[in-house]
Parts: sequence; C-alpha cells; structure tokens
Amino acid sequence: MKQSCLTNTQRVNELTSKRVNERREAMQAGLTRHFSLVTRHLSLVTRHLVYLFTRQLVYLFTCLLVYSLAGCNDFLDKEVQGFSTDKNFYDTRYKLQAALDAAYDVLQMNLFNECEWRFGEACADDVWGADEGLESQMGQLVQFRFTPSNTWIRDRYAINYTGVHRANQVIANAHRVKLADNQYSSYRDIREILGQAKFLRAFFYFNLVKTYGGVPIRPEVETVDNLVIPRSTAEEVYACIEKDLREAAIMLRARFTGSDAGKADEGATVALLMKVLMYQATPGKKSDKWEEMLRLGEFFIDGRSMTYGEILKYDPEQEDWEDLRKRLWFKPLEQNSETDPYETADTPLNSLQTAYSLEYKDYTGKDIGYINQFYLAGEFCRGSVFEVVFKESADGSADDTNEGTSVYTSHYDVTSPYEPQIWCREEIIQALFGSSDPRRAFMLAHHGFAPDGETNENPPGTYMSLKWYTPLRERPQYDGDNGKNRRVMRYAEVVLMYAEALNECGFTARAWTELNKNKAMANTISGSAALYPAGGYGQMRDNIWLERRLELCFEWDRFFDLVRQKRAATVLKTFGENKANKRGYYFREGVNEVFPIPQREIDISNGVVTQNPGY
Amino acid sequence: MKHSCLKNTQRVNELTSKQVNKLTSKQVNKLTSKQVNELTSKQVNERREALQMDASLSFTHQLVNLPTRHSSTCHLSLVNLSTCLLICLLLLAFSCEEDTVQTPQLQASINKESLTINESMIINFAGSDADNIVVYPGDDRQDYDLRDQSNTGLVVNKKLFTYSYQVPGVYKVVCLASTAGDKATNLQFDTCSFIVNVIDDETEIDRISCPRIINDEVFAEKHANDEWLMVLPQKVLYNNREQNISLSQRLRFYIQSDSTQISVNGNIYSATTAYNLSSPVDILVKSDFGTERPYKLYTLNYPRFSSFKLQGVDGKITLDAFDYSTCVVTVTLPQGTNVSSLAPEFTTNSPSDKVYIGNEEQTSGVSAVDFTKEVTYRLVSAVPDKPGMQAESTVVVKVAFQ
Repeated sequence: MKQSCLTNTQRVNELTSKRVNERREAMQAGLTRHFSLVTRHLSLVTRHLVYLFTRQLVYLFTCLLVYSLAGCNDFLDKEVQGFSTDKNFYDTRYKLQAALDAAYDVLQMNLFNECEWRFGEACADDVWGADEGLESQMGQLVQFRFTPSNTWIRDRYAINYTGVHRANQVIANAHRVKLADNQYSSYRDIREILGQAKFLRAFFYFNLVKTYGGVPIRPEVETVDNLVIPRSTAEEVYACIEKDLREAAIMLRARFTGSDAGKADEGATVALLMKVLMYQATPGKKSDKWEEMLRLGEFFIDGRSMTYGEILKYDPEQEDWEDLRKRLWFKPLEQNSETDPYETADTPLNSLQTAYSLEYKDYTGKDIGYINQFYLAGEFCRGSVFEVVFKESADGSADDTNEGTSVYTSHYDVTSPYEPQIWCREEIIQALFGSSDPRRAFMLAHHGFAPDGETNENPPGTYMSLKWYTPLRERPQYDGDNGKNRRVMRYAEVVLMYAEALNECGFTARAWTELNKNKAMANTISGSAALYPAGGYGQMRDNIWLERRLELCFEWDRFFDLVRQKRAATVLKTFGENKANKRGYYFREGVNEVFPIPQREIDISNGVVTQNPGY
Repeated sequence: MKHSCLKNTQRVNELTSKQVNKLTSKQVNKLTSKQVNELTSKQVNERREALQMDASLSFTHQLVNLPTRHSSTCHLSLVNLSTCLLICLLLLAFSCEEDTVQTPQLQASINKESLTINESMIINFAGSDADNIVVYPGDDRQDYDLRDQSNTGLVVNKKLFTYSYQVPGVYKVVCLASTAGDKATNLQFDTCSFIVNVIDDETEIDRISCPRIINDEVFAEKHANDEWLMVLPQKVLYNNREQNISLSQRLRFYIQSDSTQISVNGNIYSATTAYNLSSPVDILVKSDFGTERPYKLYTLNYPRFSSFKLQGVDGKITLDAFDYSTCVVTVTLPQGTNVSSLAPEFTTNSPSDKVYIGNEEQTSGVSAVDFTKEVTYRLVSAVPDKPGMQAESTVVVKVAFQ
C-alpha cells in the first residue's frame, strides 16, 4: 500500500518535472503553446482524479496533496540547471547554426512543399489535377470557389509564418553570440549565418506577399503583449523583403560549394532580389524597379561591377557605416588587424558572372544534358541557383514530416497507394511547346520511356514531366523519403528576368540577345536552329513570357507568374472555358489575384487583421 | 415471461435513448466550437447510431441468454427464441423510429444589398443546426433556379460567406441549410434569399493598343484629358524584309470591366475591325450603369527621312528591327570628299515634320553640318494644336567612302 503510494508519488513527481520542462519550452515558444499545455495539464489531472476515485479515496487525498504541492508556483519557477533558455541559447556559432537549420527545415516540410505546388502549379493552366471536384478543399481552391476558411489557404499562411518566425529567431539573437577568438573568419561565419536567415525571411515573406498581398510583419522578438499585428501594405512588405535581400547580398559569399552546397548564397540572394523587383513592377509601365533589375542583371550576367553601397542603396544619413557593419557582423574597425580586409560602401560585390552558366554542366564542369539538371547528377549544377536540399533518411520511418513529399510520389508515381496528383495533357503540350521545341521531348506519354528505361504506366492521355521523375537508381529506399533536391531558382530564370527588364527599359535588341541565349541552349538538345525573331517591345515581351513558360514549366511557379504579368484572369478563364469541370473559369479579375487572408486570422485578431477586397 | 420481455424492451429503449442522450450531450459539451465544426452533426448521428446498436445488441444477448438459463427443455427454449427474435424485430423497428431529423432553422444577415464590382458581400449565419449550408450567389453557373442544369453553390464554413461579383446585374442569392438522416435519407432543409444589385460604373481605359503590327502589339501613350497618342512605324523590318504598316489598324482596349460598352467613331467597337487612324478617333466608353466618358485617340507615325542626299548621293536607310524610333542612314561618297561642312538635302515623310540636330532646327539644303563623325538627327512629328503630343525619331547619319 505504502509502496504503491510512493510509486504514485514518484510518478507524479516525474510527471510534474517533465511538465516543468515542457512549460519552460512553452514560455519560449509563446502564449499559444502555453495555453495548450495548461489545458493538457488540467485534462490529465481530471483523468487522474477520476481514475483514483474509483479505486480508493485514500489515494485521492494523498495525490490531491501531492498535486497541490506540485502546483505551487515556486516549485515551477525553480531554475533547472544545465538547460538552455532563450537567454543563453544563442551564445555560440553552433547554436546559432542550429537555429538557422530550423529555419531551413521549413523548406523541407511536407506541408510547405504541398502548398508550393498546389498554389504555384495546380491553380494554373499547365496541368490537370486529380482533385478538382468541388467537394474537397483542394478542388475548391483550384476552382477559385473557396471560402476564406479553406484549409490550404490557411496552411500556406501558417507554414510560411513558421518560416518567418524561425528566421526571426536567428536574426533577433545573433547579437548574443560570443566569439571565442578575434579572427576575421569567426565574424564571417556568424555573418553568413545571419545573411542566410535574412534570405530565408525574405523568401517566406515573398511567398506570403505574392499569395495574400500585404501581410502582418511580425516583430523579430515576439512578446505576449503584442500578439495581434495589423497588416502592412504590400509595398511595406516588399520594402522589408528588399532590405533583407540587399543586406544578405553583401554578407554572403558568391557561391557555397562542396559540403556547404545548398546554403543560400549571394547568387540566390541577387536572383531573388531581381524576382522580387519584377513582381513589384508592371509590364508596360516604366518603373525604377525595372531599372534596378536591369542593373542587377548586368552585374549577375554581364559581370558589370557593383558596390556594396549600390546594392544596399546605402544612405549615410540613415545609418552610420560602422554601425551597419556591426549590425551585420562585419569585423568592427577597432578590432581589425592590418591583414584583415575592411569592407566599405565602395567595396565591389563578389562577382557572379562565372559562378553560373546556361550550359547543362554539373558543378565540376562535366556535361550532363538538359534533364539531368533535375536529377542527382545535376544537384548544384552550373545552372542551379537555389535548391531545397533533401536527403534520404537513414531509417525510412514513415511519420517524418520534414523529408519532403517527394515530387516523384505526388506528381509521378503510380505505385499504390500513390497516384499522380497533377499531369499534363496533349493539348497543353501542343500549346506549350508547339511541335518544334526540343523540350517537348521531356514530356512522357503513357508507356513512354524515361531516360533509364522505365516505362510510364500512368493512365493513357496523361503526360508526365520528366522534371518530376526520379530515376530508378536514385529512388529512396523507403516511401516518403525524398530522393532529390527541389530546384527553386535556376540560372535560366535569371537570364530571362534580365531579358524582360531590358525589354521593359527599352533595350529590346539586348533583350532579344538574352532571350535567344536560352533558346539556343535548349536547341542543343536536338540540334534545332529555331530562334525567336527580332521585333518590337510587345512581341519581345510575349516571346520572353513564352520562353519562361517553356523553360520553367512544371517548376511550381506558373500561377504566380501569370498574376504578376497581369493576365491571370484572361489566361485562366480561357483555359477553364474549354474544360468540362470549368476549372479556371471562375477566376475573378481584381479579386483572385491574391487569396483571402485565412478567416481564422481575422477571427482571432478580432477584426484587426482585415480581409482582402472581394472576399 | 413475455411481459418481462416487453418490459425489458422498454428498458432497453429507455436506457439506450437515455445513454445516447447523456453520452452525446456530454460529448458535444466537451467539444470546443472548433471541434464542433470539424465533428459535424452527421458524425454525432453516426455515433448515436453506433451506441444504440451496441446497447441493443448487448441487451439482446442477455435476452437470448435469459430463457436458456432458466429452463432446461429444448421446446421452451425454441419458443423463447422465437419470442426474442420478435423482440429483436421490434427493437429494430423502434430504433428506426428514433432517427428523426430536425429541420434546420436558417437565419442569415447580409452586409449590403447594393454592391459595386468586386465589392465584398458578407453573409453571416446564425441559429442553424444544419449539416451543411450552401450559398448560390446567383451569377453565372451558380444560380439556384438552374440547379438541375449543373449550377452549383458554394459551401459555407464557419457560418460566414463572402463573395464579390464580376458582372453587374440583379442577383438572387439563395442560402440553403440542410440536414440529412442516416444514409442521406429524410433530407430536411430551410432556405432564405436576398436580392442584391450589383452596379458597374467602370469607364476607365487602362491601356489602348494596336495588337497587330506584324507580330508586335504597340501601346498608346496616355495624355491629359482622356486623350491618347498612338505612335506607329511606317515600315517595320521583319525577317530582314521591310514591311509597310498601314494606318488602318485593329484596336484593343484594356478595361477592368467586361460589361462596359465601347463605341468608336459612333459605331459599336469590334475587335476585328480595322479602324482608320489617320484622323483622330472618337471613343465613347459607356459603363453598364450608364455613365458615358469620351476619349480621343490621336495617331502619329514615327517621322523619318523619305530621302537624304549628300552632294547628290542618296543615303541608304536601314531600319532597326527592335526600335521603330531609330534608323541609320549611310551615304557613300567618293574617296577624298571633304565632308567637314555639307548641307544635306532631305525630305521628311510628312512636310510638317521638323528636323533638328540637338535643339537646332535644320533646313534642307541650307544647314551645313560636319560629317566627319556620325551625326544624330532628331525628327519630330506633332499633332497640330496639341502641344506635348509628338513622336520623335533618332536618325544616325554615317558617311562611308568608296
């Protein structure tokens, strides 16, 4: 009896001490988790009590006593020795790196990638989907017949804010790092972690702003007093994104290679900055966004020198250069030894011109051919600017949610229990590639052969992109693991963005040269000689958009590309009119270019977060 | 025995319904509002059914077992068995009767009944225990009255529905709350409707273009007072061949609303008609609401030299395939010609066009120029009496020697 009582007490103690730890974590994580913990705590207590009551009353009283003791505040507030807290966690480079890894982790999450293709690809006109019926959340989404409570709209919002939050942890706490030595490289290491966090934060905010318009800009340090943040305008969000990217560009090395490959570098940052500028500019309207994009293109592709001050748009009246250096972890002037480089506003950025190439070559310079750019051989190849890195997990455990939903299993695989979620069709291929473009060869028909000889057993009438395919020998051993990296930005896109900026700024002839560079490279696939003809602004713009669609098809960006070209309504309505289920036909111009803010956000903010017009 | 059996049945019924009520109400009470949304009342019904079945089954077992326990003869047990079977049937009948579906009561409120295009219409729902609420906004393919012709509604979540209209008109918005019994039988529903009036008063032209300049689309410039200027090339270099561009061209208008009517020079606009742009074009935009707004479109050609002579030698004009506003004139003169001060003779396509070098106006055969280097002429063509409405070309003159 006594013994059993003791065991129970021990159990309770164990339970409570466990809970103390949990509570500590919850405090770090914020009020939300704290509440859920308290609720869990209460429900556990209740269950415990009921259980005991049925047995013996003595138990009840003993345990009540123990519980009431355990519930005392001073017990919970006791410092647990040897545990990290939010105050002391970020004191070394390794811990800051761990926090950065957590931000990268979001890019690998199943939900993140699910939302990427569902919005970027399945909403647009390059594919048909398995789930387009109005009875599902997905069907309602792609039909543009959703409510603001749609779960995908909610999930995309939440997952990108998870990313923002994690990047914020790195950015807000980088100043806590204490260096063990005064080496230049020690400062550089922290600077590069901070720079990557800035890139990632910009990346997540860019996802949010292109999906929802202006969104709340979360403070870097969240407090319980200020959980509800009203929306900023799209311009304000873009300004934050630009600031992060401009700073990241001077903080990062030109290109990470070797075991560091896959980290966001200066190339990824400048490419994303060009894209962010492009999304703010309107085709056909003169704007300094186009001008700056052109300037960045000249730097990236033509190798024209650009200084730190220029990319930062540095203004000495806004911030002292030395303060900026300290904030961004450049080694402070007073610490600098004679051999250390000292960066000024006039220091030129690391050149990117030779770091990338349109040629289909791997990172060692070996020819790999077009489609291998998307396979193992082409990971971090000359044409790849930013990838989400996936590694096959060691144990194949099925419940991991951060091994990435393989593109292969969601888009291509026919083995049960999978079925392709999206596919292409003959008429789309015809509209896309015509009969002559060599990239048509990478669309696989029913019973068609993949490069490694495997036949495509997807149903007749469906066409699969080999970009989605994972060669047999590269396929992960276990289901749910991801075998290959997702290509997020490629050099071909940088070249086409440059071409578009040139055309918009009136340099149509130069735009034509850039455009045909990519086309000429694609022509090497089959030895074709067809190039785009010379022509005026409108023709060049249409051809650049066509080439973008051809080169970047099925890479989960088509929908957003259409919206920023300001022609999503026209294109999608035409597409939907000819389909039996009318998907796309219900796209409402002036409304559906952005999705609604999830209803939950409006409800819990008591209306402080406002809805987009038309929803 | 029979009596007791009957009593048992009653007890079963009482008990089960009591249990079910107790359980379900307890369960429902425990659920947060969020969970309630997730766990639809349909699921609650299913649960109720499952519980009922469990309860009746266990009692049936008891009933079946009862007689065998109390009697030893086979005959009696057979009689009892048949009685029990009867009771089972009765139970079944009773349990079926239990399944009543409540008619949902639909209460809805709308934020406004007169809307503009893309303005949010917000309908809030209250007081309904329905499984589903569906709203038919009444516009294209979403009309309640045409629901047997594949028109569909939109499913409501969280008792809130928002929508906005693209096309002006008067729409009947029908809200339908429904609850169905098990296996989708016994459908009960309640409807309510609103009439909303959507007004479209859009008269703003965003852009005007000529969409068929060979393969190019050329956009007009927007000037003050709803006046637009289209500048077209007279000749285009396409596939290394010069092609003439006529002033009779199709027009394309970019307007936010599809319901706006456009008339060009008094006739209804057609996307496939070629309009004569050599004189100003009157455009009248009439919104669906009835507001009219006039626009005027002027057209100029990029000015160019129709001839350019130096010392009687004709220059060769080379067009630029990308930029209609620039071209190059190459004049080939005999070796040793002094070109430091020559007065070229030139004609422009339109006599009113002005020719400048920098800001100095040039007169054919009079103004002397130094041709030892490339000379850049600026040609300006203007709409009469419209200051600021002008087209400008750049012509680079090069002298080559034989």
